[in-house]
Amino acid sequence: MTAEAPDVSRVREVLAEVGEDPGELELAPIEGGASRQTFVVEAGGEPRFVLRREPAEGMSFASLALELRAIAAADLAGVPVARTVAAEPAGGRFGDGAGYLMEFVAGTSVAPRVLRRDELTTARERLPAQLASALAQVHSVAADEVEGLAGGSDPALAACELWERALDEIGEPLPGVEAGLRWLRLNAPPAAPATLVHGDFRLGNLIVDEHGLAAVIDWELCHAGDPVEDLAWLTIRSWRFGNDDLPVAGVGEIEPFLAAYEAAGGTRPEPERLRWWEAMGNVKWAVICARQAHDHLTGARPSAELASLGRRICEPEWDLLQLLSESA
Amino acid sequence: MQDRPTAPELLDAMAAQLFTEVREWVPRERRFQILVLANLCSVIARELRAGEAPSLEDTRLFVDLLGEEGGADPRGAAELLARRIRAGELDERLDRTIDRLRDHARRKLEIARPGYADAGPGGGS
Repeated sequence: MTAEAPDVSRVREVLAEVGEDPGELELAPIEGGASRQTFVVEAGGEPRFVLRREPAEGMSFASLALELRAIAAADLAGVPVARTVAAEPAGGRFGDGAGYLMEFVAGTSVAPRVLRRDELTTARERLPAQLASALAQVHSVAADEVEGLAGGSDPALAACELWERALDEIGEPLPGVEAGLRWLRLNAPPAAPATLVHGDFRLGNLIVDEHGLAAVIDWELCHAGDPVEDLAWLTIRSWRFGNDDLPVAGVGEIEPFLAAYEAAGGTRPEPERLRWWEAMGNVKWAVICARQAHDHLTGARPSAELASLGRRICEPEWDLLQLLSESA
Repeated sequence: MQDRPTAPELLDAMAAQLFTEVREWVPRERRFQILVLANLCSVIARELRAGEAPSLEDTRLFVDLLGEEGGADPRGAAELLARRIRAGELDERLDRTIDRLRDHARRKLEIARPGYADAGPGGGS
């Protein structure tokens, strides 16, 4: 499914308006996030910018603008980001969907490469502390510092409701996931002061170069919530890609990571709260797998890859039940 | 009766060729898709070899957790169990329910990702 690429001359026009005209441009599509189309904008054979565009029926410009405000706030707080250069509404100069141009940041966001490539050995050593520090900076942004940031006053219960509703929409019976969700609902931690939460902080949404973390990208799930959600999501087993003994994204141990988070200004999470959000992270990944398979089954997005995710639901489901059995 | 190879043997052959030869023909950035297809062949082969037994064990488990009210249909029993759990009707034995549903998840993993349940942290229990 390939929509028409954005018109190069109009992209150049947008860049010229913000004083960034790089000359003759070429747009090269790259495999990016699951929903957004991503193009590298090249000038003179060099990558200069990245253009990301929603599908025509995708996110509204208001939601996109909110995301860009969150990125700007994170940038101010010291988080390495790919800075936004320009944004256009749906039907604007980038084509059917709303989209934005950001700086090109060199590196990879393919997690297995980060975990295995020889040239990234030093990066892997530095990453745990860098990830901790970036998260502490994200969480230093209070929820009300980003205008329009959505999020309930009770993030834990809001998460229970969100994923229960998502399960209902999919309509597949998953008693293991339901049992986990029920436990989480009955044992929800009290609300903590809400901060900016990235919402999908894992290697697949970070750009890593040979020095380590180069940029935190993919902010479309950012919201106001419990900062522990980000810490826990980074440690779920699915994001270790086989490095099971290194809970922090397959690159680090939990204790030094939490110490680095605290040293960078973060609040050390209570163990129960961290485990609660780790279990919730597994619920979230199980439901996302089910939803992707559902998108294939309904014909909305036919794909063997999405179909295969239906048979991966049992991985986070197992991890969830295992975690809760240990808590009982 | 079909002649050999059996269905699982055919799938094994497909998986092997996709994993080795076909993977080499495909540009590096697309190889992941070949691995997905090869892995699906292996999943289906394991499911065919396991036969009806895992499904029957799941039905028995669901019916047991429901207290003898489910039918013989695993999907129907799973739906009823999911609904009851959501409604809080199993809250008094939720810990035991969670513990026992690990067997269900483990049976799915034995087809979809053998070794996963034993390899991870806290695995093998």
